[in-house]
Amino acid sequence: MKTNRRRFIKGLGGALGLPFLESTSFAAEGPTTRFLVVGNPFGMHPDHFFPQDFGQDFTVSRTLKSMGWLKDRTTILSHTDHNMVSGHGREVAFLSGVLPTDAMAFPEKNMSVDQAVARHTGAQVRYPSLNIGLKSGVRMSWTANGVENALITDPRRLFDHLFLNLTEKEKKARRDVIARNGSILDTVGDQFSAILKSGSKADADRIDQYQTSVRELEATFANRESWIGKDKPSFDISEHYRGDVTIESEYNAIFDMVSYAFETDLTRVATIAFPTELGYTDVPGVTRSYHGCTHNGKMDDVTDELVAIESFQIAQLSRCLKRLDAIPEPNANGSMLDHTVVLFGSGMGYGGTHSNRNLPILVAGGGFKHLGHVDTRNDAGENMPLCNLYLTLLQRFGIERDEFNISTGAFDQLSV
Amino acid sequence: MRPNPVASSILPCWVAGLTLLCSFVSADEALMKKHCADCHNEEKAKGKFELSFLGDAPDSENLERWLDCLDLVTAEEMPPEDENHLTGAEREKIVAYLDEKVRSFESGLELSGIPKPRRLNNREFENSIRDVLMIEDIGTHQPTDNLIGDSLFHGFDTHADTLGFSRFHLDQYIEAVRKIVDATILSGEKPELKRYEITPEKIIRANLKQNGGQNVQRGKDGVFDFLDPRLYGYFEDFETVPETGRYKITIRCTGKDRLIYDSAETGFYDGDPIQLSVHLGNRVRTYDLPDEEIFEIQLDEWLASGSRLQMYNPTDAFRMKGNGNFKFQYAIGAFHTREHNPEKYEERVARIKKSPRLRGSVNRWPYWVTAWEGARPQVFGAVIEGPYFESWPPKRQVALLGEDPQAKNAATVLEPIAARAWRRPVHPGELDKIIAMVKSAAETQGEIEAFKEGVVAILVSPAFLMLNFEAIDPADRFASKFSYFLKSTLPDEALREKVLNGKLNSFDAVKKQIQSSVEKGEVDDFLRAFPTAWLELNDINFMSPDPEHYLHYHKKRLSEDMVNEALAFFRHAVEENIPVTEFLSADYSFINADLAKVYGVDDVPEDSKLRKYTFTDGRRGGLLGMGAFLTSTADSLATSPIHRAVYVMENFMGIHPTPPPPDVVIKEPDVREAKTIKEILAAHVSDENCASCHESIDPWGYAFENFDPTGAWRDEYLVPVVLETDEDEEPVANGKKEVTLPIDSSAKFRNGAGYRDITEFREEILSDVNRDRFVRCFIEKLLTYANGEAPEESDFVAIDDILKKSAEHDHRIVETIAAVVDSPLFRGREG
Repeated sequence: MKTNRRRFIKGLGGALGLPFLESTSFAAEGPTTRFLVVGNPFGMHPDHFFPQDFGQDFTVSRTLKSMGWLKDRTTILSHTDHNMVSGHGREVAFLSGVLPTDAMAFPEKNMSVDQAVARHTGAQVRYPSLNIGLKSGVRMSWTANGVENALITDPRRLFDHLFLNLTEKEKKARRDVIARNGSILDTVGDQFSAILKSGSKADADRIDQYQTSVRELEATFANRESWIGKDKPSFDISEHYRGDVTIESEYNAIFDMVSYAFETDLTRVATIAFPTELGYTDVPGVTRSYHGCTHNGKMDDVTDELVAIESFQIAQLSRCLKRLDAIPEPNANGSMLDHTVVLFGSGMGYGGTHSNRNLPILVAGGGFKHLGHVDTRNDAGENMPLCNLYLTLLQRFGIERDEFNISTGAFDQLSV
Repeated sequence: MRPNPVASSILPCWVAGLTLLCSFVSADEALMKKHCADCHNEEKAKGKFELSFLGDAPDSENLERWLDCLDLVTAEEMPPEDENHLTGAEREKIVAYLDEKVRSFESGLELSGIPKPRRLNNREFENSIRDVLMIEDIGTHQPTDNLIGDSLFHGFDTHADTLGFSRFHLDQYIEAVRKIVDATILSGEKPELKRYEITPEKIIRANLKQNGGQNVQRGKDGVFDFLDPRLYGYFEDFETVPETGRYKITIRCTGKDRLIYDSAETGFYDGDPIQLSVHLGNRVRTYDLPDEEIFEIQLDEWLASGSRLQMYNPTDAFRMKGNGNFKFQYAIGAFHTREHNPEKYEERVARIKKSPRLRGSVNRWPYWVTAWEGARPQVFGAVIEGPYFESWPPKRQVALLGEDPQAKNAATVLEPIAARAWRRPVHPGELDKIIAMVKSAAETQGEIEAFKEGVVAILVSPAFLMLNFEAIDPADRFASKFSYFLKSTLPDEALREKVLNGKLNSFDAVKKQIQSSVEKGEVDDFLRAFPTAWLELNDINFMSPDPEHYLHYHKKRLSEDMVNEALAFFRHAVEENIPVTEFLSADYSFINADLAKVYGVDDVPEDSKLRKYTFTDGRRGGLLGMGAFLTSTADSLATSPIHRAVYVMENFMGIHPTPPPPDVVIKEPDVREAKTIKEILAAHVSDENCASCHESIDPWGYAFENFDPTGAWRDEYLVPVVLETDEDEEPVANGKKEVTLPIDSSAKFRNGAGYRDITEFREEILSDVNRDRFVRCFIEKLLTYANGEAPEESDFVAIDDILKKSAEHDHRIVETIAAVVDSPLFRGREG
């Protein structure tokens, strides 16, 4: 930790140059789309999160006040769920709709929607996805093999990961592995080439599939190799560490690093968690624990504290989105926010009732024609599976699929 | 099972392009025309079938229709009972005619025989690498965690077209193989042996929350106590394995307080031992602990650097109260203490009352956490010694590469590894590139590192990652196929030799080989993977019973018991070599106390062990009464006779109903309508478009209507009335209102055979025709598993030959499997 700290401090003073695009080789491709997910473990106090009225001209709710400026580029979804029993522990299914214990029933296990996007966009950037918490997190990012993605829970580590250049020794080690893997592909790539000419069609098809994979992977190696050589963008977050370090300054730092990582195309997918254990007493008006506040017994003063914590979370997000909105999207119209799909929510509806039936879900940016506050229930009054929204978000990335985990269709109301 | 709707055995819904005019010449044809053409002519075309579609004889286009006719006429489902004027003799004539025509067509066909090559699935990949490297498993550091999960084809993870291959796969294979090889071949200095003395204070309790470092609790007063079964313990100085090598681990522990609380409240059976699981990465060792007596767990294991070492209490109990969250169980302690130890109770209550934060009753769970006396393991300490090595370089490395491998001898060293990995002799020159790479790498990286590169290359080559290339020697291919079929791994030397020497060329030899593998306990992979695929057991929780109405299903992890029941039955079938038909006819199954509660029987021992149990109610036993089938085919709130019918048809009867036409509007079920499913489905009978198929489908499903979504028996429907929930209110547990509706589980097949309930259905499904259908279906499933693709219509006669062979042996399962392996459909056309 000591050495990390030193490297970190050194990094803080780094020059703030003009950002350059990490994946310059892909810059010519046209507009890119990014995905930002912010999640919390306890849901939101529904009366203060959900606006009282529906439609595009909804009245901004108390918790969402800081997002008021983005009202016309926001959709708040009422009445979505994953059909989960009440209680804690279901937040692990926030981004998948599938509990780890049920994952075997699904071909892509309990893969979360961020990883479905990362699989699509990952090869073009240095980091396929960033999964971040503070001190701890919410277990919301899972791979297609049902394995949990480890979170980066220390902003200092995140800084090193994103902006600290590799030492010459590290560079050499990484180049070495790439070179070794390259040599291995050389030795196996044309094994069986004879089959292509003389074997059966089925054999030839399979070998062709293999050889195509080899060629594509070799191309990826070249990209990875070039990233090692390229310096990472430099960045300065020292302003957040000048005075007392509070959770506000730490989250400011995290969100700033993520928006800069988007800006420089270090990654196109990021998840950020507001964990259970965090002490929110830095937030004005908060004296109790986060979990304690959710069990407020409807006492006004405790509920106010909970709403203050939840408003803090939204304000952090809002601050980040403002930042993204100030950046013009390279190669396209609009701001970077208009090309960033933003999802805020939780796998728990509301901690106070432990209900997981009406999840607090907000989508912003991403170039959608936004709907304001929308009731997603069908004619029979049943909630919409949240995976329907995820399917729509995936389609926004040009991912051609017609189902995602427990979806029953797409949320077509939300269109581009 | 088959990839396209063309494969339907039910009269297909679509209309063929051409109507052939044909003249019936033979007497048999005339007979068919007389009895079938009234409905199946150009004008009427009932079930969208016209007799003329058959033409004069089967061809590759219409073969499927011939097979449909053969199946339906044999089963007396056509002509339907109310319009049947055929005598028994006339029916036999038509069946013989159809059969003969199909046979004569298929005898002229070349058997496909050689399946498409396919990628190894993840199971096979792990097993195969284990056997190439001759190690116990792929390692404790979870090296394959990065692989993409395999997609399933109707439950099968061996299906060629479904097992894709992309650069993602290749990229991840290289990474995984590297990790495995790195933990097997050690190139550095011999690491030093260390000894770790772990006191209870150095055991830390952690939960599954990510990096939840805030709430650290350690053992104290000489003991580490598993007060909450959700939490695991790990060793402070040994959270992960520091260096790869062999470790000796001794854990001193005991089972504590096994019989204090009432098992009805805790869900922990009095007959169950307290257990402790030691997780070495994903290698899990579980031990039964003696009660209140110190026990030493002794482990001696090869552990890979970075592996996590954790201890769990593996019980499925203590989730019976509230929503199943363990913490609510602490209240059991409050009430138990009040009843059995009033003094202690009063003392604690007095203390609780002094607390300034007191809220609600003194019996609420938060006040009783530290008073918990539920059955649980306790750990008193541990000693770890390692890494140690019997020799250096380690034994496993010497076995693989030899004492001192030199790049100049790379060919000699790598050839046997490649032959094992590629499951065949290495062709001349085939290793040249790899050898050249090893030689050049040796100059810069050293000999051992260079050989690691060579081994990685062998293991990411197509010859390792892909099975069943046509271009390899038929004997090698058969040995591979046979081994992957039974053991999900590459063939060992003994098997390869037998095959090469022609010692497995006969049915009897194959049968003996299977039998001896079963006896030696070598076929566990088959015993798990095949029934999992066939019965689609992975799907059990795709639509799990609604958590609010069937909470008990979730509280005791019933789906695991149900899956294990099905697997236990299958294992019994193979180990005892029972007739395949007993899957349907058995009046027994394998249940424990949890399943007994669902199945409504009370004369089983109070524990979690699965034991053979004979049902006397005529309703259960065998596959048809199993929770795994009944649950996975139900929706979360209601049952669907259609889902169950389609499952029975596809997985037991080998009939593949055509999906409804795309323009059909399927009404979304609305549980609040308070109608029985039969009333809702009345449209199927009244709408002729639906009726033509559903008259054949529905009778396969109605019989199960007495089984609710968890597979429990019910005499009437309890239809939950969905209440509008007020967002502010805690949902009322079990406070649901229900209306009852009568169940009609009777139905009639098209051939007139009817049943009143499940007991009569169970007789009907054992008719000669249905038995044959079941065995044929079982054979087709085995072929799908073995070949990586479903059999074709043109394999009908070859499957019939397997069926006959099976019948000669009373359909005994080992002989049936042997007949499949000995068939040209498995062996390939070379025989």
